[in-house]
Amino acid sequence: MDSPWDENPDYNTSREAEWTRMSTDFTNVGYREGITAGKESALQEGFDSGFANVGAPIGRDLGILRGMCSAIVTSLTSSTGGETESMAIEARDIAAKLSDIRFSDISPRDLEAEEHARQHLEDDEHGMDVNEEIAEKREVEGLEDMLAKLTAGTSMGAHETGRPTEDDVRVLKGRLENLVQRMGITVNWS
Amino acid sequence: MADFDLESLIHVEQNFYDSGYTDGFDHGRIHGLIEGRALGREKGFEMWEELGFYEGFALTWKGIFAMQGREDDRASNHIRHLLELIAQFPRVNLSASDTSSELDIPKLFRQIRSRYKALCSTLGVRPSLRAAENNSPAEDEDTESQAELRQGLTVTGNGGERKNVWKVEGKGRPTGQDLSF
Repeated sequence: MDSPWDENPDYNTSREAEWTRMSTDFTNVGYREGITAGKESALQEGFDSGFANVGAPIGRDLGILRGMCSAIVTSLTSSTGGETESMAIEARDIAAKLSDIRFSDISPRDLEAEEHARQHLEDDEHGMDVNEEIAEKREVEGLEDMLAKLTAGTSMGAHETGRPTEDDVRVLKGRLENLVQRMGITVNWS
Repeated sequence: MADFDLESLIHVEQNFYDSGYTDGFDHGRIHGLIEGRALGREKGFEMWEELGFYEGFALTWKGIFAMQGREDDRASNHIRHLLELIAQFPRVNLSASDTSSELDIPKLFRQIRSRYKALCSTLGVRPSLRAAENNSPAEDEDTESQAELRQGLTVTGNGGERKNVWKVEGKGRPTGQDLSF
């Protein structure tokens, strides 16, 4: 009378299975909702840190170089002379190379993201989803690369293989600083 | 006795849910940080590349004028104003500091663009496309100049198709609290 079910082992196991199923179900529901809430809670924090620590400073540095170059090109083309001519050619070359640089070429790796994506690959076969807006951008860049390769053969062949790197930016910056010096101007930027 | 059993069963369900929720929340946070960082990087780069361009442009012309001994003409005036406006522009995302900030970012961005264009016309130079439309080839909005302005707006507000992205920083930062039990 106390526990009549004890005598029925079949019923007992099915009860256990039921219990396990229930625990998994509730845990899973909680997990799913937790993921959504956790993600929401951290998006802003991540955004702000990416904006302030990576995007804004790198963008500003590259933008300043491009702006300087643009000013130099325009100021040199308005005047003529042998020395100016060669400086203008140099300025235009730097400008062209600077304009080819993309953020994805010079942005530092997000090691935490890479590590986490690796974990996902190990745990389940499908990797981590990438934000669609960014994925789209990369896709367009890939298409650009393909087009560049196609036209490289027929036109001037100016396209080198491989994307520019941070080192290339440093070299261009050095060339720009040289040019500024040759022009005899002082540009105060921090 | 039946009552007691039911009560404890509900409680047990809650416990399973809660423990799942806690694990999920931690995992979700990692994803939120990663995705947020990726978005913030892109947006920060995009905005500051443009602003940096104007800054470098203005600073260089300032240097050129100094070398030529030109000081108080209209171009120098534009340069001074342009640099002042850029200096006001925040280098961190605003929603982070405080939402009550009086800084009107879209307005500031517009002022900077039009000051840059004014400088260009004084110099007799064709302005960079940045000031008119987005030159990023990845941009898919149809009306570029409008879209560009809207982008400026969306950093603090909620705009158009990017809503899903920027609602992140809309009214108040979302916390798990509203969603938790």
